[in-house]
Amino acid sequence: MERFAFLRRFTRNRGALIGALLILLVTVTALAAPLLFPTDPLRMVGPPELWPGEDPAFPLGTDSLGRDMLAMLVHGARATLLIGLFASAMATLIGVSVGAIAGYFGGWIDEAAMRAVELFQTIPNLIFVLTIVVILGSTLHNIVIAIGIVSWTPIARMTRAEFLALRDREFVQACRSMGMHAPGIIVREILPNALPPVIVLSSLVVASAILFESAVSFLGLGDPNVASWGRLVGDGRQLIRSSWYICAIPGIAIMVTVLCLNLIGDGLNDALNPKLRDR
Amino acid sequence: MSQISRRVFGSGILATGLTGTMAQRSWAQGEPRRGGTLVATWGGGEPQACYVPAGGGSSPTFSSSKLFERLANRQMSGEFVGELAESWKPAPDFKSYTVKIRQGVTFHDGKPMTVDDVIYSVNEIWKKYAAAPALSDFAGIAASAPDTVVMTFNNPTPEFFFASLLCGGVNYIVPKHVYEGSDPVTNPANNAPIGTGPWKFKEWVRGSHFEYVKNESYWRPGFPYMDRLIIRYVRDPAGRAAAIEAGEIHIGVFNPVAPPDIKRLTATGKFVATSKGYEESVWSTTLECNMRNPIFAKREVRQAMFHAIDRNLIGKTVYYGYARPGTGPIYSPNTAFFTPDTYKTEFDPKKAAALLDGAGFAKKPDGKRFTLNLLAAGWFAENGKIGSYVKQALEDIGVGINLSVPDRPTSFKRIYTDYDFDLAISNQSNPSEPVPATTQYYTSDGIKKGIPFRNASGFHTDEVDALVDRIKVETDPAKRKDMVVEFQKIITREAPLLPLLELESITIASTKVQDHSNDPNYLAASWHDIWLAS
Amino acid sequence: MAGQLSGAVSTRSSSRRAATLRLLRRRLIQAVPLMLGVVVINFVLIHLAPGNFLDVMTAENQVSDPATVELLRRTYGLDDPTWLQLVKYVWALLHLDFGFSYRQNMPVLQAIWVGLPATLLLMLSSITLAFAVGVSAGVVASTKVRTLWDTVVSVAAMFFFAAPSFWLGIMMIVLFAVKLGWLPVGGMATIGGGGGLLDILHHLILPTLALGLFYAAIYARVMRASMLEVAQLDFVRTARAKGLSRTRVTLSHVLRNALLPVVTILGVQMGTILAGSVVIESVFSWPGIGSLLFDSVSSRNYPVVLGIMVLGSLVVIAANIAVDLVYMWLDPRIEIR
Repeated sequence: MERFAFLRRFTRNRGALIGALLILLVTVTALAAPLLFPTDPLRMVGPPELWPGEDPAFPLGTDSLGRDMLAMLVHGARATLLIGLFASAMATLIGVSVGAIAGYFGGWIDEAAMRAVELFQTIPNLIFVLTIVVILGSTLHNIVIAIGIVSWTPIARMTRAEFLALRDREFVQACRSMGMHAPGIIVREILPNALPPVIVLSSLVVASAILFESAVSFLGLGDPNVASWGRLVGDGRQLIRSSWYICAIPGIAIMVTVLCLNLIGDGLNDALNPKLRDR
Repeated sequence: MSQISRRVFGSGILATGLTGTMAQRSWAQGEPRRGGTLVATWGGGEPQACYVPAGGGSSPTFSSSKLFERLANRQMSGEFVGELAESWKPAPDFKSYTVKIRQGVTFHDGKPMTVDDVIYSVNEIWKKYAAAPALSDFAGIAASAPDTVVMTFNNPTPEFFFASLLCGGVNYIVPKHVYEGSDPVTNPANNAPIGTGPWKFKEWVRGSHFEYVKNESYWRPGFPYMDRLIIRYVRDPAGRAAAIEAGEIHIGVFNPVAPPDIKRLTATGKFVATSKGYEESVWSTTLECNMRNPIFAKREVRQAMFHAIDRNLIGKTVYYGYARPGTGPIYSPNTAFFTPDTYKTEFDPKKAAALLDGAGFAKKPDGKRFTLNLLAAGWFAENGKIGSYVKQALEDIGVGINLSVPDRPTSFKRIYTDYDFDLAISNQSNPSEPVPATTQYYTSDGIKKGIPFRNASGFHTDEVDALVDRIKVETDPAKRKDMVVEFQKIITREAPLLPLLELESITIASTKVQDHSNDPNYLAASWHDIWLAS
Repeated sequence: MAGQLSGAVSTRSSSRRAATLRLLRRRLIQAVPLMLGVVVINFVLIHLAPGNFLDVMTAENQVSDPATVELLRRTYGLDDPTWLQLVKYVWALLHLDFGFSYRQNMPVLQAIWVGLPATLLLMLSSITLAFAVGVSAGVVASTKVRTLWDTVVSVAAMFFFAAPSFWLGIMMIVLFAVKLGWLPVGGMATIGGGGGLLDILHHLILPTLALGLFYAAIYARVMRASMLEVAQLDFVRTARAKGLSRTRVTLSHVLRNALLPVVTILGVQMGTILAGSVVIESVFSWPGIGSLLFDSVSSRNYPVVLGIMVLGSLVVIAANIAVDLVYMWLDPRIEIR
């Protein structure tokens, strides 16, 4: 019943519904990429700089090296979504851990944790990501790590605020008086109640992680073995006079995906935080 | 003096329909116009310093070569002529050269240029920084008269080698009174050089441009024609194209604009593009096999790597036609030494597969023979693109590839210090004289851990080492050429490192610019004779 | 009566001044360990990088003699253990010495100084645009809830919030520079002859839009929500009950209070805007510190990378202090901790 209420509230937000459907489509495409385009998408397969529609074999045209734009776009969806999800998962893991411990224990632990949060918010984020990627090397998992490292702070703040509000509630005190240990209380009792707003935030971090990754790849620091969307935009930069579609198409893909994730975030917000839904 | 092989350089004009062989005077109407300001740029960024004693790459070479001069200069005809030297002559045993220094030349600060400056430059700058590998046999330099120095060597030194040394790279004559007693690398004068050249340093506006003014007391009477030379830096090709199009920049050397813009600009008739002026500094993109990996022990495996790659395709797509397949260690514009008669690693995937089968690397059940780490040096964007094509081409013959495109410092370190690659895509630029610039990629004394653009493949055989030692000391030009031909045959057959492509560098200039691109390394020429028609 | 009142006011204003000073002191004291943390994290991070600047320097200078390399290593203090280098760096930093950039052959601060004005100009113009457009769009949307205006603002905000700024920049170059020819492709001034104020403004338009519209989208959304929330508060209802006109209430009471969250976000995002301008600089060849940063990272020129990080963090901290002050000014009720 509770679950249905959630769904009902989520679907009442039409934007969120459209967003979810589109993301589903992107996800299915990403999953089906190896079936749709079984060969390496970075292969040169046709004449370079074919405009979309010029040759039915390449519906979205080819890039400057004669690689199939559609194949790269579809495989790029995989890379982009994976990076977004894993980076968000990493940020959530760090953020929730730090926030929960800070909020539950308070005192100097809280103080130290909040100083760390402040520290990471002070360093200009994208510059930090770029430096980490340059230093660790341009591979997919290093990019995920770098984005995770700069994205956890809002989640930590949110989790901490929730824990501060919840830790002195009766049910928590009851657990404590029953002799339950702190880790148990944190994970089993408080966390489930603190999670809804955190989930909303995590879904938004997926979107911002995709934007981060696209900027990193755009600047030429992405993984060369992966057809990421940001990299396609970067590759097409030299050709904006003759073939601007090479930049335009992957950029639209990034924008639509991020837009849909934001819409989903709004929908989740409405559905999980019913008290806020009429704002 | 310069009675060396002097065959005319092959014309470097492309087959891609470029107009413009603007170098000829015939285009100029009447007498050169005097006065005015010329604004120039090049296809890269601002240098770290105006002058870097060790060269420091194309950017400081471009900026410093207008201010400093060398002892000699090579003409488009292939002939060597004196610049700050009037003449040079070998001893009968070719172990020493007598060099007569031009008199009446002054530095920009008014002090006369003397044999002391020459001796200081050779001992402290050339030997230590600018030409260290070439001077491995150098024994000493001394003045034998107020206007003459004698350079001695431990072994016979061929004339072509010696003349190339005099006009090579950044082998400048620098003022002893400015540099003596300082660390030349960090001397502040490197940011405001004092030389003997046709242009005097006036100002460096960081992030923007150098301003040079006419050297009124230049030793070539009547030169330079123009009053000011501005070297302006624009960070991206599109910006350069816009500035050239708007007439704000008159000439751009070394690929100032993106290939599609070359055609757009020349089509207007207001600009010319030429590939002349790069004959002494042909760039290539190379592929090298790390011999430390036992997979490459057999030469057939190395040959197979090259047979698998369609170099014409790379030239057409990655370089938009501004490149031609490379055949061997000596590049085709080098008429003094080039031979087309070498082992040919032409595109033939079947042959590549057969070679690998024959070498004992049959395809395993997963379709792969073995897997290699391919490193494409990230200092040029094209290398990364070539990397992804080479990956595809090698995977087609059953070789698994992990591609990485590290940035510049990491590429330096992984290729030339750690030797952490199986296959590497890198670049080199070599002058006509093969020793040592070209040969040190293949000899055992070229294996110098930590020094970039040396022998990183680890390839060495007694045969090649001995041959290069003989080339080094052979003073008969005809015999020497035969040896270099032999060298090319061995290297192309052994294939530890070969050029995939020889790159066509392009200069774009307004049709108003006269007498440019008239030196086989125009980027590094003094530009004393350039002028702007009205 | 009047005297009493003015006395009360002056006590209040002096106590506010005292509060402001207290706040400033607190914030400045907090900033010290923060900066130390920034320096330590970045210092350690950069020292993890493969290859140091000596590798690049010796490579470019073709230095092969091991003795020379060793000499250079000592000259640049690279033979010290990392912790000692860190201590030395922090000590120098305390004396406003950011170190020496071997590459530019000048002090780091001077090297950064060359590009700093351009970056600050771009940041400032983008923030101004984002603030002006975002706040007014938010106000319009909130006063016309559930009308076409509201929808237009919401949809536009959604799009600009989702579009990567570098892509937006490129697309605007295609449209306004390449196709229409109205605006320059890039750079900060026309090469040769340019450089006047109008010329710079002309070049500033596209980069400002590319960077600023993303933030305008955020501010519009926050402003709208914040306006609606404040409008529900008691004092607004009171003001309206007193018969003040709707517009007057909106402007004098609601707006001022609704600005608080926008100002907060602005402060928090200062670092993001700085980082964003680095990317936009690359798209538009804007001669700011972006190119210096890329060049320095790719030549492992640590002192400059660290210097940019430290200065960037200082900008963020300063912005946050400024936000706190603006907060006090906007909402007299707030006594900050």
